[in-house]
Amino acid sequence: MDKPKSFSGGKRYTNGEITVYWKPDACVHASHCYRELIEVFDPGRRPWVDMYGASTDQIIETVNLCPTEALAWKWNDETKNKDIDPEQTNHVCFRRPDLSGPSEEEQQLKEKPAVIKVMPDGPLVISGTFTVLYNGIKKEVNESLISLCRCGATNHHPFCDGAHRKSGFVDN
Amino acid sequence: MENVKEFKPQAVIEVTDEGPIKVTGNILITDAKKDIVDKTNEVLLCGCGRSANKPYCDDSHKR
Repeated sequence: MDKPKSFSGGKRYTNGEITVYWKPDACVHASHCYRELIEVFDPGRRPWVDMYGASTDQIIETVNLCPTEALAWKWNDETKNKDIDPEQTNHVCFRRPDLSGPSEEEQQLKEKPAVIKVMPDGPLVISGTFTVLYNGIKKEVNESLISLCRCGATNHHPFCDGAHRKSGFVDN
Repeated sequence: MENVKEFKPQAVIEVTDEGPIKVTGNILITDAKKDIVDKTNEVLLCGCGRSANKPYCDDSHKR
């Protein structure tokens, strides 16, 4: 297998047809990738991404599930990168917009619920605009997301650090 | 009555010192498939991993 190539802030992997970009710092351990496609995304393996473990379509579908910029992809054939719908993909040319600045429709945002996604055997992935209180700290989250530990094994309390996988945490 | 918009304050996620995660305000609890699980205004979610009623707290952290 080809060795992963480093890029600024992460690594990239290719099967000749597409390249997958991996930015570990952006990962919130939502766990979509390895739950959907362990053949390609196996956190217990080194390198953890095997681009030959599944079809290109399956890899794109799974990368698009990543709620952050941790995983992104693009076609190696640049001409194919022009017809991508930025709303639907984690295509590397259409990085998710940074919405952390002040919003023109702040009031409207406040009426949108914060969405708390309970990941199977994993963390709580909370997205939207809300306030977090922990350890005497008050943090405002504005159209972004956080991932909170649900297994009790994290070393980065109250945030998820991926420890649920090693601790074998399972729902009922 | 269904058309009456109920005002819900912005969501607050509080990680309590005892362990559970208290969520209040305008929240929507879903599972990974985006099915809505709960639209309650205030609930305690398990943060210790020991609840028998996950994702909700059942006070197992006290035992």
